[in-house]
Amino acid sequence: MTKKATQIMTNIKILSVCGSGVVSSSMIAEKMKDRLKENGYRVSTVEVNPGGVENALNGETFDFIAYTSPIHGKFDIPTINAVGFLTGFGEEEFIEEVLNTLKKLGK
Amino acid sequence: MSILTNELIFLNVECTSSDDVIKLLGNEMKKCGLVKDTYIDAVIAREIKYPTGLPTDGIKVAIPHTDNIHVLKSAIGIATLKKPVEFGIMGGDGEKLEAEIVFLLAIQDPKLQLEFLRKMTSLLCNGELLLGIKNSTTNEEIISLLSMLQN
Repeated sequence: MTKKATQIMTNIKILSVCGSGVVSSSMIAEKMKDRLKENGYRVSTVEVNPGGVENALNGETFDFIAYTSPIHGKFDIPTINAVGFLTGFGEEEFIEEVLNTLKKLGK
Repeated sequence: MSILTNELIFLNVECTSSDDVIKLLGNEMKKCGLVKDTYIDAVIAREIKYPTGLPTDGIKVAIPHTDNIHVLKSAIGIATLKKPVEFGIMGGDGEKLEAEIVFLLAIQDPKLQLEFLRKMTSLLCNGELLLGIKNSTTNEEIISLLSMLQN
């Protein structure tokens, strides 16, 4: 019997922010799950609107914030603009920024 | 009723503003009992605060939508425009773009529509498909192009 190859996946958690906390953030979240899986990350996400960011950050720990609506304020974790990721026009740049960010976080 | 229907597709329409397009599609959604009376105003208000124009590669599109409290049943309305109308760019600082196709989204529970949203996302990245939609002359053509979006 051959041994099943096991790939060690790193768990990361992303706060996905859009204007309604419904549509674009879910689109981004699903796409990040797909794309980052290829890079060895198991992604879990929470989707919120800009008003829900602070609350979410108080309640849970996230690795970074991906946003399609401008978010204001100072955050302790990195924030990454995800609009280009949504349109595919700037998708690779987004993934690169995410991977660099995760690397800096030691993940 | 499937999420994409004949009644909610409008081809080559003449609209002069983003509000016009939202009202055209939103009123049809209202007639079909898919959204509440508050939906259209909520979408228009949200568009000012959080615009949804997407600077896609090629045909520019907009995906107006709003909080799900205004939605009764998930649906998508599609309008291709005779002349592009101005939409603010999502995540931008007041920049505008000329949208040629508008997808009005009414999403009740994103968790139940993940597969649809996932397909919608891949559609937005598919310049060829967007061009096909833009050039469609019948609703059936659009429905067949978007058959991959149907659940």
